[in-house]
This record gives sequence, structure tokens and C-alpha cells, in this order.
Amino acid sequence: MDFELPAEDDPRRIEVRAWFAERPRPTGRELAEAGYAAPHWPKPWGLAADAELQLIIDEEIKRAGVNPPNLVNPVAVNNCAQSLLTHGTDAQRERFLTPALAGEEIWCMLFSEPAGGSDLGALRTTARREGDHYVVNGQKIWTSLAHKAKISVLVARTDPSAAKHAGLSQFLIDMASPGVTVRPIIDLSGHENEYNEVFLEDVIVPADRRLGQEGEGWAISMRQLQTERVALSKPGAIWGAGPTARELVAGLDQIGALDDPLVRDEAAEIYIEGEILRLLAYRSLSDRMNAKASGPEGAVRKMLAAPHGQRIVDLAKRVQGPRGMLAGETAFPLTPGRKGIYDDWDYAFWFSPAVTLGVGTQEILKNVVGERMLGLPRELDPTAKGPWNESQTAKRAEKTA
Amino acid sequence: MNFSISDDHQMLKDSAQVFLDKQVSLKPLLTPGATVRDAGYAANWAKIAEMGWPGLLIPEDYGGAGLSCIDLVMIVEELGRTLAPSPFLGTLLGTLAVMKGGDATQKSRVLPRIALGEIALALAAAEADGREDGPDRQTRASQHGGWRITGRKAFVIDAAEAQMLVVTARTDASAARRLFLVDAGQAGVQVAIEPWRDITRQVCTVTLDDAEAEPLDAAGDALWPWVRDRALLALSAENAAGLRHVLDVTADYARQRVAFGRPIGAYQAIKHGLADMLGQAECARTATLYAAWALSEENPRGPLAAAMAKAYSSDAYVEAAHRSIQIFGAIGFTWEMPNHLYLKRARANAELFGAPREHRSRVIDLARAELAA
Repeated sequence: MDFELPAEDDPRRIEVRAWFAERPRPTGRELAEAGYAAPHWPKPWGLAADAELQLIIDEEIKRAGVNPPNLVNPVAVNNCAQSLLTHGTDAQRERFLTPALAGEEIWCMLFSEPAGGSDLGALRTTARREGDHYVVNGQKIWTSLAHKAKISVLVARTDPSAAKHAGLSQFLIDMASPGVTVRPIIDLSGHENEYNEVFLEDVIVPADRRLGQEGEGWAISMRQLQTERVALSKPGAIWGAGPTARELVAGLDQIGALDDPLVRDEAAEIYIEGEILRLLAYRSLSDRMNAKASGPEGAVRKMLAAPHGQRIVDLAKRVQGPRGMLAGETAFPLTPGRKGIYDDWDYAFWFSPAVTLGVGTQEILKNVVGERMLGLPRELDPTAKGPWNESQTAKRAEKTA
Repeated sequence: MNFSISDDHQMLKDSAQVFLDKQVSLKPLLTPGATVRDAGYAANWAKIAEMGWPGLLIPEDYGGAGLSCIDLVMIVEELGRTLAPSPFLGTLLGTLAVMKGGDATQKSRVLPRIALGEIALALAAAEADGREDGPDRQTRASQHGGWRITGRKAFVIDAAEAQMLVVTARTDASAARRLFLVDAGQAGVQVAIEPWRDITRQVCTVTLDDAEAEPLDAAGDALWPWVRDRALLALSAENAAGLRHVLDVTADYARQRVAFGRPIGAYQAIKHGLADMLGQAECARTATLYAAWALSEENPRGPLAAAMAKAYSSDAYVEAAHRSIQIFGAIGFTWEMPNHLYLKRARANAELFGAPREHRSRVIDLARAELAA
């Protein structure tokens, strides 16, 4: 057991650093072609990098001040594009992967619906096969990046007479297709376009844009939601993209708030939690390096990290007093080197309710942890068995009766 | 970089598990009025000595196994999981002080006997208010020819079993704390066993009246923090493993106990509580392993890591042990169930060697220093 991170003079680090020294402002395509966009992928897309090399590349990207590919095109790099390696056709890989890794084509995920968020399997959007194409109709919601995306990953019902989770399939859709309409949702922070609604009306999707076989949509979607690029991000607000517990302690120290014993105690609790979450992330990384079955750390970490991020910004907001209720009033000056909206303490606070909702609500996550890791009985779902369309007819009949 | 537990460490842990599962029974403690001595305190110790655990950290030159804090955690986790009654912890704390603070003569005289299991030790550091630190410590050491100590030490783990005590005391010359080795068998040392709520452990008050003592001076002022950090590590390992055990037995119960036609673990109020416990168990163990690594490497973050592990694991263990009783329902509130033994261990460990809040305050100081650097 050795908790020491890869050293400054690690030969692999020196090599990566030299690459960035030669190209101080690399384009997305240069990063992708060097294998730095998804180092853990097999060649030619990645470098088949082990976890340690991934960590080095991640750190060196940050050190070079380059916008990391997994933040430029998160849906493709973190979640979905990997599915093409296993379920895609050669033509799909050829067409989609390089522009995705280069950040030239931004991706979004058309998953959640007004009637199917936590219960994603209850989605109603349909894809009806007609000859060499599908016709898609439905409505999606809470779609990040839909306003910027060229490509979307859609999960839709191709067989309404199959069981709930068996009748779903995935597609790669051009967002410019006729019939696709994107409308921004203004969230409670007042920020526009963090989330969108997407309407799909008679959208024609060529059959060769289906990802995997018909009926594989649920399994592929679940893997995409669980696939975290070996998480190297620091635990913090906004799923690790925002302020961290270390920055909280530094900020509180700066304004003298740590002299208050209650603030001091709470800040210490949050700090300790942040340090432990960082170590938990490294532990999952090590387990992968040692090719051990990944322990429960990954899923548990998500369950712990979201409320942790909320605690960071909540304490920061409370020490401001009434001044904190002035729009845009930040708790502490931005940490040097940070400048985006995710680095803003005020925005991070108002965004914070979302982190226990997105990518599975906290309650669903706890169900998953309890059921998959502790072997507790599964939640009842009367709609899970039998043909999906019949369960829906039965529900309507119940309502009218 | 490799955060995973090595196969060697895992094997050590597995062998400790097999041994303790066979050796330890808490059953005698499930009768009201029973004490630690009814639950194999002495017999377990004899077997533990046969296993060589008292000499785990002692260098090979002094007859020990010369292993590290990581190895230690593998063993202490199993002792914490089973609440094994024995003077292991008291002896460990005394041993640490002699290892670090003793000169060559003292070490040759004492350490081999510990490694052979011939003697048990205890560390007498706290006073009546439970604190080891502070300017108002009453116990004084003075030199009239040899050193003599007078004062009272409280909450001393395993003192009644110990042949030798390590005692902290102030000297007339300076306010600084020094540690002394004291023969527990002499007339000037009185040991009283206290009615400690955690009946899996023996906790005593030690009264010293002009007791002969010899200083442990080899490490100077560095001795106390060094010993304290390792005491925190040992308690954290007990906490983390005890918490995991509480989770396992409670989840098992929730899978089996049926109410309203379903196992109670099907209900989200129960299921989510258990999921939270799993999160806490993972965090407590991770913090403990990190501290074990940092202390075994003498890493500069060692003191911070030990303080974080003790603060986090203590609160989490108490919360889990309490929640376990709630999930078991009224049966978990009875003396005949083992649930209370874990609650009491958790509560007691939280108070020993500094309560969580005290360590959190230290964490802030250490974190500030680190952030400023």
C-alpha cells in the first residue's frame, strides 16, 4: 500500500509535460490524436493507459492550463462515446469518435423525460421502424448541452409490446435534423441553458444510426450512466467542478471566520470529508490498476460526494450573513487561476440543489447502494414485468374506474 | 502509487480473523454484571501472545516481528471487529513509548519480554478531566537521586493487568511533559479498576505516591506526539472495523426480519440508513488506511491523517451503533443482544485520547499550515 502520487520526475510525466511544452495551445484534435482526450481507451483512440498514466495526463492538462477534453465534451468523453467501442459499427466509430474526442462535435444525452427521470425505463419517446429508417416522436428534458450539441444519444422505445426495459434502443441523432426543437430551461439560479427541453417530432433517423441491437438500449444506457472516466476530479461543489473543501478552509481563514468555534468545527468536518473522498477516488483507481474488481467505492463515492459539495457552498453562504443574499455577492474571492462560472461561490451555492438530482437522485442512488451492495430487497415496480403497453393501458383503466 | 491493500496484508488480516472468530466469545458479557474478566480477558491474551502480536511492531533485534503500522491495522481491525477482550491495546501503547523513547538499555530490558508475552504494559497519560494535554496536569516527577512520581492518572487502559506502566508527568525544572517507565508492582503504585461502561475493555485509575520511575528520554519532545498519533490510529482501526461489523449484522437482520409482509430492508427508511452506514464504513476505513500509511512512512501528513481518522471514525461509529439498535428495534435495546457492546465501545473510543471536536480543531490548524505552505 502506497499513497504517494506519481512523482514529479516520473519519466511518463516528463514525456507528457514535454508534449505540452512544444504545444502550449493544443487544438482539440491535437489532443485527441495524441491520445490525451481518452487515454484509457484502446489505440488508436486512446493510449490504453493504466490509471497512473491517466492521472499524470489529467494533472499535466491542468498544469498546462488547457481546457480538459472531458469538460469540453463531457457526454461523449465521460459517458457515451465509449459504447461505440463495444456496440458500434466500424462505420460509426470512423464517423463519430475523432470529432467527439476532439470536441469538434459536442454531444448530449436524450434520456430523461417529463414522465421518466428516476424511473428512466418508463420513457415514452418512440422510434418506429419504417424501411431503412426510424421515425422518432417524443419529448426529452433536463438535457445538458442540447443547445450546443451536434450529436445526441437518444434512448427510445422501439417495441412497446416488450417488457418495460426490454423494448428500448439507442440512436445517434443529428441535432440539426428536421423536427428537433431545443428550448432552454431557466433553473432556480437564474442561469439559462444549463438544462434544456428537447422536442422530437417525426424525426427521421437512418437505421445505421442505431447503436447496438434493438432492445439493448437499457443495458447500454445503464453502462453509460455508470461509466465514469476513472474519476480524477477533486471532490467539491458542482460534482467536483466547483470550489473544494480546501478552498473553503482557505477562504474562511482569509476572512477570519475560523475564529468562530462552530464554524471551525463544521469547516473541519467538511475538510475531513473532502480529504477522505479524494482518497476514496484514488483507491478505486488503484483497484483498477491492480485489476481487482472495482470495490463499492465508485457508487458510494457518488452518494457521498454530492451532499459533500452542498455542504461546502452552504457553509460559505452562511458565513456571509444577509450580504450573501445579494445577487452575485461571492463569499470569498476566486481562487487564483479559477475564473469560470463553476468557480463562482455564489453560483455554486444556487446550483447546489441540482447535484443530488442529476444522474440519478440521491434517493435512487441509496436504493442502488442498498440493493446492489448490501443485498437488500429490490423496490417493487408493478410496471416492470409483462408487455409495457398493457401496463400502461391497465393504468389508464384504473384512473377512469 | 498503490492504494490497494497488498496480498500480504490481506493474508495477515485473514489469519487474524480466523483466529479471533474461534477464540473470542462475547456471550459471557450478555449477562448483566459480567466484566471483561469473565469474557476471556486473560485467556485471550495468552493466545494473542502465542500469535506473537505483542511483538508485532517491536524491531527484530529486540525479539519482535518488526512490522509496520499497516500490519498493525490489519490486526487491530480484527480485534475491533470482535471487541476481543484482552490487554492488547494497553500493552501496544506502552510498547510504542518504550520503542521510541527508551534508550538501548531500556529497550533491551523491556521489549524482548513484551515480545515473548511475559509482560503487559499500560500508558497512563490522561488525568481526571480525561485530557492528556494542558498546563494544569497534576502528576509531578522530581529527582532525589532517582526519579519519583506522585499524582493520579485516570482512564488508563489495561493498567490492572500491566507489570509496567508508562506515565506522563511534569518535572519541577520545566513545564514540558516527560514520559517515565514505572514498575507497577511497587508499593507506591495503586491501581483501581473503574466501572467503565464499555465492558469489553478494562479501564483503571492509577495513583502514584512517590513511585520510583525512570525517564524515557531518547526522543525528547517528539515522543508524546509520536505515541499519541499511533494511539489515534489504533482507535481508528477499531472504530472502522467495528462500524463495518455493525453494518454487516444490521444489514443481515434487515434482510431477514419481516414486517408487513416484506423484509424490513425493503423499506427505504431502513434501506437508506444502511446505505449511509456503508458510506461511513468506507470513509472510516479509507481514512484509517491513509493514516496507517502516513505514519508507517513518517510522512509529514501523518499527524493530520491520524487526527482526521480518529475524528471521522469516532462519530461515524457512534452513529452507526445507535442506528443499528434502532433497526433491530426493541430487541436491540436489551442487555442480552450484543448491539449495546458496540454502542458502548464506540462511545468510549470517541472520548479516549481526545474527542472528535478536539481533533477537528487540530485538523484546522494543520490544514491551515499546509494550505499556507
